[in-house]
Amino acid sequence: MLSKGTSPPTEPLRKADMTIKLSEFEIPPMQDIMLVGKKAPIGPEAVRQMVDAVSPDQYEIVHLNSHEVFEAVVIKKSLLKLLPKEKLLSVVIEEGGRIANESMVVKAQINLTIRVNRVVDL
Amino acid sequence: MQMAKNIMSRKLYTIDPLTGVGRAAAIMERCGIGCLPVVDEGKLVGIITSRDIKKSHPNRLVADAMTKEVITVPPTVSIWEAKKLMEEYKIERLVVVDEKNIVGIITKAQIIAELSRYIDSLTGLNKAEVFYERARQLLKKGHEIAVIFLDIDNFGLINKEYGHVYGDSVLRRIAAILDRLIDKKRDILCRYAGDEFAVVSTRSLKDAERFALQVVTAFANEKWPDGIKVSVSAGVAGGRRSGLRNLNEDSSYIVKNLINLASLASTKAKKLKKPVVVVDAVEFKEMVSMQ
Repeated sequence: MLSKGTSPPTEPLRKADMTIKLSEFEIPPMQDIMLVGKKAPIGPEAVRQMVDAVSPDQYEIVHLNSHEVFEAVVIKKSLLKLLPKEKLLSVVIEEGGRIANESMVVKAQINLTIRVNRVVDL
Repeated sequence: MQMAKNIMSRKLYTIDPLTGVGRAAAIMERCGIGCLPVVDEGKLVGIITSRDIKKSHPNRLVADAMTKEVITVPPTVSIWEAKKLMEEYKIERLVVVDEKNIVGIITKAQIIAELSRYIDSLTGLNKAEVFYERARQLLKKGHEIAVIFLDIDNFGLINKEYGHVYGDSVLRRIAAILDRLIDKKRDILCRYAGDEFAVVSTRSLKDAERFALQVVTAFANEKWPDGIKVSVSAGVAGGRRSGLRNLNEDSSYIVKNLINLASLASTKAKKLKKPVVVVDAVEFKEMVSMQ
């Protein structure tokens, strides 16, 4: 029984705050390089399917058979025109291996600047 | 000879490589099976096993979790060869393929259950069927083989005088002695029948003779219970082979022939009261062509 002057409890007011963040979907939605961990939620075949669907012929998948952390590397083919694959991969895999574990997929953005000095006869 | 096609599972469930691992796990659980062959446009491209599923993230595609190198066997492969392959590759299953079509799966459990039928329950030794098959395999691999046939002397008397239970315990002891004497890398031992034992070996005929003498001596030096005497007569046969065309048929013929020759030699040894009788090496090229 309620005492005099006390009002009954009201239902809690439920509201939702909504924030919308709109930005353009990048095509391709990939960065320059992806390092796929051995126990990552997606494997090389899934990456290949995704890449082929959204950016056909733009990426190459390199399977790593004996690496401790990574199973494969997905690399933008255009980068390979600037630097040989072996040189680029060895650096990226080494650096990626420092920060990643088997269950991760790591994306890497690569900025390459080629410096050329040439001397010509006057 | 027991073949994979006689014991394999014919009810087949396969999966597409682009299916998720979670779905593969669900199918395997629902059907009570331990693996699924992965088939892409009718072609076998891998196999996904419960072990692969445990190792993989459930979000992965089957293609990213499967074992890509599939060990396949024809339906006519013997269960001994199938077991050997499983041991060699440390796997639990083999996909049975007839030309290009998958026709079944054979598991280690099925093979072990079947093989237990070929083990003699009294002595724990192989039965004669295993002996024949292993001997055939050795010949097919190009080995020269020798057969040593061992016949226990007057074993019937032990049974009559001391009873069959006692006789059985003597047989078990004989089996243990033989098992200890053989070189498992070169010799395959079996209880051929009753009180007869046989060894097929990759030893030379001369070495097989030496081994047979070693067995006879070991029996003579053994301290048998109740002061009984157990002796054995041995027959040894071996053969050269060359230019054989049909390895399957010819190897069966050679094995049967060698066992027959060795058993006759052991009978001769008994009659002549010699410990070992050796049959001269037989040239099988001629014998086969005479069939």
